[in-house]
Amino acid sequence: MQIKLRVFRFDPEKDQKPRFDTFFMDVDPNDRVLDLLEYVKADFDSSLALRRSCAHGICGSDAMRINGRNYLACKVLVKNLHSDQITVEPLLGLRVIKDLIVDMEPFFENYRSVLPYLINDEALPEDGKERLQTPEERDRFEDTTKCILCAACTTSCPSFWSDERYVGPAAIVNAHRFIFDSRDRAAERRLNILNQQIGVWRCRTAFNCTEACPREIHITTAIAEVKQAILSGKV
Amino acid sequence: MSVTAKEPEKIRIQKNFDQIAWMAMRYSGVLLIPLAFGHMILQDVVVGVHQITTDYAVERMATLGWKLYDIFLLAFAFGHGMNGVRQVFRDYIHNPRSFRIVSSILFVVWLVISVIGAITLLAINPAMGR
Ligand code: SF4
Ligand code: FES
Repeated sequence: MQIKLRVFRFDPEKDQKPRFDTFFMDVDPNDRVLDLLEYVKADFDSSLALRRSCAHGICGSDAMRINGRNYLACKVLVKNLHSDQITVEPLLGLRVIKDLIVDMEPFFENYRSVLPYLINDEALPEDGKERLQTPEERDRFEDTTKCILCAACTTSCPSFWSDERYVGPAAIVNAHRFIFDSRDRAAERRLNILNQQIGVWRCRTAFNCTEACPREIHITTAIAEVKQAILSGKV
Repeated sequence: MSVTAKEPEKIRIQKNFDQIAWMAMRYSGVLLIPLAFGHMILQDVVVGVHQITTDYAVERMATLGWKLYDIFLLAFAFGHGMNGVRQVFRDYIHNPRSFRIVSSILFVVWLVISVIGAITLLAINPAMGR
């Protein structure tokens, strides 16, 4: 099929303001948007800058705005977009470094602020091996283990657009992953970090994050569980 | 080997104003459903807009129950709205100090208007209708 692809271009070192480059191309409906960008890079303009690595929806490096919505370019097929016009832009709310590449540092800074790692200083179990948990205990945070830190959620959130100090859905998802892990001992610290104006209370349940997540994590539910834990003082 | 579930953990959370504001938003929202609908059904359906005269209003407002009902309606609806406005301001005001000042102003406006409204409602007595 014939499509018209518009790609956001901006090099802050050279350009005064961003522009869109337009490409007309013949593609297969089963092509991924990432494939189209690779065609552009190979056949039209090798200076196009974008991040990608695995090309299989697992590394989280190619989240971008496609027809106004956040997707992983490697996970969305041309036919999924139901349109022969495709516009590709960088994620919103983060500074553009070049073309489709944004500065992810504010995102990762928020991520680090919730202590996204297992904290447990207690002595090891007697056999010196694993800290065990029941299948039910494991299930409580199953959903939030799936995050690949692509930032599609956080950069779709209006609260984050207005202030990048808001920790954002991805950080809360990753806090949830440890708060509800029975082997972890730092739920109290994390919940107190999130119990702030720039923590969970900036979330107004817009649901954009849940729609954007390529891993289909129930983000709004996870945020609500964290709010509930703060309000009840129980995990 | 058998594994037993860990006892639920009790967590100490430091109180935070935004936590309280968030709760207030939920509670006032839930309260507003009966209050606002009750008001609307009574005035627009049971009585009807064309029957609402000064005499009717004075008569209704002469009962303490209705006075309290309207004071609650005013205070909760206005508080709910003001907290919403506060959230909107928060999107534009990033400096914590400025935001605290704006929040305090909104709170004072809410308090003053609610108190004036309450005084006015409480002052209404049946003699005023004649
Ligand atoms: S929660 Fe989903 S959208 Fe957000 S960073 Fe993780 S994988 Fe990406
Ligand atoms: S390239 Fe790895 S997730 Fe798309």
